[in-house]
Amino acid sequence: MKRISALFLVLGFALSVSSVWAQSTLVYGTTDKVTDMDPASAYDFHTWEIFQNVSSGLMAYTPGTTNLVPALATGYTINAAGDEYTFKLRKGVKFSNGTPFTASVVKWNIDRVAKLNGDPAALVTQYVKSVDVVDDYTVKFVLTGPLSYLPALVATPTYFPMDPSVYPVDKIAKDVGELTGGEIVALGPYRLTSFKRDEEAIFEANPNYWGKEPGIKKIIIRYFADATTMRLALEKGEIDLAFKSMNPSDVNDLMKSGKFNAVKIPGPQIRYLCFETSESVFTNKALRQAVAALINRPEINQKVYLGQNAPLYSMIPMGMSYHTDDFKTAWGDGNVAAAEKILKGLGYTKDKPFTFDLWYTPSHYGDPEVNMAEVLKAQLEKTPLVRTTIKSAEWATYKQQFNNKQMPAYFLGWYPDYIDPDDYTSPFAQTEGSKGNGIFFSSKVWDDLFIQEQQTTKDAVRNSTFAKMQKMWTDEVMTAPIYQGNLYVFSKKNVSGVKIGPTLIFNYDQLKLAK
Amino acid sequence: MRHLASYILTRFLLAIPMVFIMLTIVFVVLRVMPGDPVNAMLGGHAPQKVIDKKKEELGLNKPIAAQYVDYLGKLARFDLGDSMIFKQKVSQPIIEKLPATIELTLFGLLVSLGLGIPLGASAARRRRSGGDFGIRLYANVVYCIPVFWMGLLLQLIFGIFLGWFPISGRTSPRLEVSSFSKTGFYIIDTLRIGNIGAFGDVMWHLVLPAFTLGIVLSGIFVRLTRANMLDVLKSDYILAARARGIPERRVVYNHGLRNALIPIVTMLGLQFSLLLAGAILTESTFSWPGMGRLLLERIYLRDYPTIQGVIVVYTLVVSAMSLLVDLLYAAIDPRVKY
Repeated sequence: MKRISALFLVLGFALSVSSVWAQSTLVYGTTDKVTDMDPASAYDFHTWEIFQNVSSGLMAYTPGTTNLVPALATGYTINAAGDEYTFKLRKGVKFSNGTPFTASVVKWNIDRVAKLNGDPAALVTQYVKSVDVVDDYTVKFVLTGPLSYLPALVATPTYFPMDPSVYPVDKIAKDVGELTGGEIVALGPYRLTSFKRDEEAIFEANPNYWGKEPGIKKIIIRYFADATTMRLALEKGEIDLAFKSMNPSDVNDLMKSGKFNAVKIPGPQIRYLCFETSESVFTNKALRQAVAALINRPEINQKVYLGQNAPLYSMIPMGMSYHTDDFKTAWGDGNVAAAEKILKGLGYTKDKPFTFDLWYTPSHYGDPEVNMAEVLKAQLEKTPLVRTTIKSAEWATYKQQFNNKQMPAYFLGWYPDYIDPDDYTSPFAQTEGSKGNGIFFSSKVWDDLFIQEQQTTKDAVRNSTFAKMQKMWTDEVMTAPIYQGNLYVFSKKNVSGVKIGPTLIFNYDQLKLAK
Repeated sequence: MRHLASYILTRFLLAIPMVFIMLTIVFVVLRVMPGDPVNAMLGGHAPQKVIDKKKEELGLNKPIAAQYVDYLGKLARFDLGDSMIFKQKVSQPIIEKLPATIELTLFGLLVSLGLGIPLGASAARRRRSGGDFGIRLYANVVYCIPVFWMGLLLQLIFGIFLGWFPISGRTSPRLEVSSFSKTGFYIIDTLRIGNIGAFGDVMWHLVLPAFTLGIVLSGIFVRLTRANMLDVLKSDYILAARARGIPERRVVYNHGLRNALIPIVTMLGLQFSLLLAGAILTESTFSWPGMGRLLLERIYLRDYPTIQGVIVVYTLVVSAMSLLVDLLYAAIDPRVKY
């Protein structure tokens, strides 16, 4: 018995010693996952978050905002036609291994992304014809046509310069281990010094960083399989900060406890109901309008998300330029009278109601998804003229089904590729983009409107185009917006500097850890 | 010795058709199920031409038979292929995750044997007593409990209410795994570098998952040990031992238990596959970064090569375990010879 007690004492001492040692380090928990450690292939928020901390773009967002400012560039000029951007680069910048940063590095990386044609390559190839080195510190982007939002595109990790001597030129690096030297060499405030998939990622301050020194020298990310376990780890003090994604009930409990700092982020994520417009019952836009009228967004937000999100009345999220609340004006919430008027006009009665299948996917968007489907079903059936059947499929099947036009109405969600209203509208209403989301909407009028807003850099023109589109959306209703998601970061009281804006970019170098 | 080598070789050769059958079933089922990796991976962001190109790149546009022949060709060269979702060899995550699963299942097995055999022997010794009834009740109850529910129960009681044990992961978040991880077997790794603090942390994290697996499977070992012990305790040599005045405890545990072990060892081999299946759910409950969690995640993503690779490895592990159990017979029962 004495031996066992002694062993416990030794273990306890050793564990407490390791805890003390770890105080200078911030531990951040997440349920997210890393995909490919190569900007030519990565196309997801968490992997991009890592690149945003180990590297930099020519342009960057001021932490916590949507203000684009020069970063590795000192500024840019646009030609009169709007199809050539010339960036002046910052001088004296060095990679974490000491290699100098020049215009040829920018060209090498963008050419590589286009050549390897990985998942995000379209972000380059759709817009960029060529990248020309003017001199060591000047680089020119020749575009396929006039484009208003190239500065936002170059702020995405797909355009980030990495050290050419580290990444293979002719293939996507499968993992960090495949890089020369076994480490990402880039231009960000941190170096990724260790990575163990699904377990941990360790970041240490980059001594060659061109910007301000990070507030915390070492950051460890711990990967959790589920949100509840992550919440418990935070409560037990095993992690200092938890981000993405908490369950609504966990958010409420943690808020009420008052033991943690809570930062609410007006997320760029939107949720909406999609309609298959080419072959399903929803070919008739009047039926889409009836469904849009019956949706009661504040009720969904309250009942399903405990009031943590925000009802959304346009596909362009709140806080973004050109947003209007047109769906509220046109249809309101739970507008049974308007829906019944449409449905009666189409010949539907109590005995012969309008019936359709409402689809959701159970895990891709989190546990509350089933509740959202049930609440919406109840809202739709407030009129006896509508009857719905809820159906579900796992994400891989779900995606195939909406591509094959097998689901008349289904929930989807959107995280933007780049922060611009175009990215919230063209993928749903422009002919090509609409197919990819299973909507199959096609109209020359709409396609022309998109070309107009994409090719102009004049704010007034874009403003009037998007205002017109949002009004027209309430008539076509190819999708019906439901809510804009908020995200929550919880941290211990001694953690400060959490600045995450609508871009969802989390700059670790802003964090501070008090003793 | 020559006979033993030939026996091992025969068993090894028999494992090949077993792997082949399993793989064929998994291969076909995955491809006839709705959904594919490209759809799961690209979401709604990618244009159709990108999706088509990706399918072509991954060979998903070929007929299933052609895909199957390609896959078998690779497998014959001991190549499990590349993941369709992550740009990595299938063998890479398997090599990374397998040690975690082996650590968990071995400790789960130890717990189930450590609980099952003594409790079964004790129940047989006190046949029809209150203790016997209680142990049999325990065996029936734990055998019926789903493993994930047992996990949640232990997490709630010992992790949350009492706060004695961690409820997730293989190590504490503050412990830097890269500072000691070499083989992936954290117990060995921490002992190798003499880091007692890290070793304690690893063991602490193993307690609840191992007990979850072990308790559920201990039920069958309790019943099996009890039934065999009852038969053995009726044998003539046990009667003779008692007649010679050998203390009852020695009669039961030294003379009876060893002879009752042979059918238990047989069951051990059969139970190992159940243990691996249980590990899939246990790993999910405890965020344990092992093969089970890898399999579940990749099923959602329809990452065909990784799912097939994991199944191949599982089949090989079960075959190896079954062979090991057969070899153990010879050690336990002198009558068995190869």
